[in-house]
Amino acid sequence: MSGSVFNRLVLKDLYLVRWMIAGALVAGVGAVALMPVNRVATYVGGVSLVCVLIVLNIFLVMTTVAQERKDKVLVFILSLPISTRQYLVAKITANLIAFVVPWLVLSLLTIAVIDRTPLPNGVLPFWVTLLGYLLAYNCVLLAIAVATDSTGWQATGITAGNISVNFFIPFMLSRPSIAAHAEAAAAVWTPEVFIVLAVETAIAIVALSAAIAYRARDPDLV
Amino acid sequence: MTEPLIELSGVSKRFRFFQLEDVALRLEAGQILGFVGPNGAGKSTTIRILMGMIQADRGSVRVLGHAMPAEQAAAKRDIGYVAEDMRLYSGTTLAWHMDLVASIYPGWDPKYAELLLRRFNLHAAQPIKALSHGERVKATLLLALARRPRLLLLDEPTTGLDPVARHEILGELMDVVRDDRRGILFSSHNTQDVEQISDQITFIDRGRIIDASEKEQFLDRWRRLSLDVPPGATPPSFPGVVGVSASGRIAVVTTRAYSAELEAAYAAAGMKVHDVQRMTLEEIFVANVMSNRREEER
Repeated sequence: MSGSVFNRLVLKDLYLVRWMIAGALVAGVGAVALMPVNRVATYVGGVSLVCVLIVLNIFLVMTTVAQERKDKVLVFILSLPISTRQYLVAKITANLIAFVVPWLVLSLLTIAVIDRTPLPNGVLPFWVTLLGYLLAYNCVLLAIAVATDSTGWQATGITAGNISVNFFIPFMLSRPSIAAHAEAAAAVWTPEVFIVLAVETAIAIVALSAAIAYRARDPDLV
Repeated sequence: MTEPLIELSGVSKRFRFFQLEDVALRLEAGQILGFVGPNGAGKSTTIRILMGMIQADRGSVRVLGHAMPAEQAAAKRDIGYVAEDMRLYSGTTLAWHMDLVASIYPGWDPKYAELLLRRFNLHAAQPIKALSHGERVKATLLLALARRPRLLLLDEPTTGLDPVARHEILGELMDVVRDDRRGILFSSHNTQDVEQISDQITFIDRGRIIDASEKEQFLDRWRRLSLDVPPGATPPSFPGVVGVSASGRIAVVTTRAYSAELEAAYAAAGMKVHDVQRMTLEEIFVANVMSNRREEER
């Protein structure tokens, strides 16, 4: 029965954020569609895509985790036949699905647009690492919201995450392995790119595992 | 002998500014346990420990035969929990919540849910954000009752409700225990509600259980005696006397252990008992809490 409750809770969260996901998809598709128009539009479209994914990330985490706790709906959810750990895993699963689905659609669309239009394919490794960074940011923010009730920590996570994106973009564009091939017709996948992707994956996994482990030691959610 | 619905013993939980100490509770099937205490006494914490939402630092917690919080998922299949501060998803409707709960509990009774909708004058299509406080409490109670749980844990469900809404809810709770396999733990600081529906009563104050008994025993044991006191004398404090107040030649003695022998003892001490009054549960509760606090402060 707990498996069924788990599925219900995941579906419940997805239902509650369905319009958020749809809105992000519409806005994201519009942003990606701008990218091949001209150089200015590439910049505007790219920045807009990043903004859409950041806003989706923040809205999802704040609505489904922080707000639910603040509004005391969590008391109702925890009255259902589910353990605290199952609740946390269901919450993380729902959030990941809600973010990863539009993220994946928009990522594949971005890659397809770069590949099928006159935009240089050399910029693909940069975009892949940036999209990976946004996914890792989502996991870190989700982990903070799951691990702590403190709105101060959550605000710190959001602020630090947003600022870090502004550092990550020039950092990656200045890396010789990216900069040297950015205008090339073909993408060049250097070891450095794979190292960045591996670090992003590790950060996401460690953050979520640490949040679950932390809550297991202090299981009082209400 | 059937297993009790609730068996809590030696439970302690420490917070930064509050401590629950050595709490014990027992609820048998077919009974309503009134759990009475002032604000901040530890009622909600105790109930959340019973629900597995808060983990006790020490002690044993068994609910419906399940060890809590380890087996909370299994135990909560048969528990209906309603708390005064419980909220529902404001962007949805009551019908959406009914569908969610019905999809989780195989025992959901749609006919009973419909009946409760009518009795509580609720509308399934009503958005949650449009519900008043009383309607919201009734909605959460409907969601708990219509799954036909064996155990209802109700944390101050009648707080802030108008008399009619309280009457409707209490009436519904009395119906629940007509099935003698079921039981209710009902916390409140409104002693009127507790007196109306409970069989057993437990008083809690400052994180400690200060008294527990059957309701009728409380009402029988506690009395207020008016005495004529000879000039210069003070009424002796016999066992069970929790308070004495004197004004001139009249003294009022409050006792938790009334018996005919107590009257005789005062008569033997030269004090005429000219009136013996029964106390309401509220008076018993206040006298109990105050005498317990005085003992603590000594």
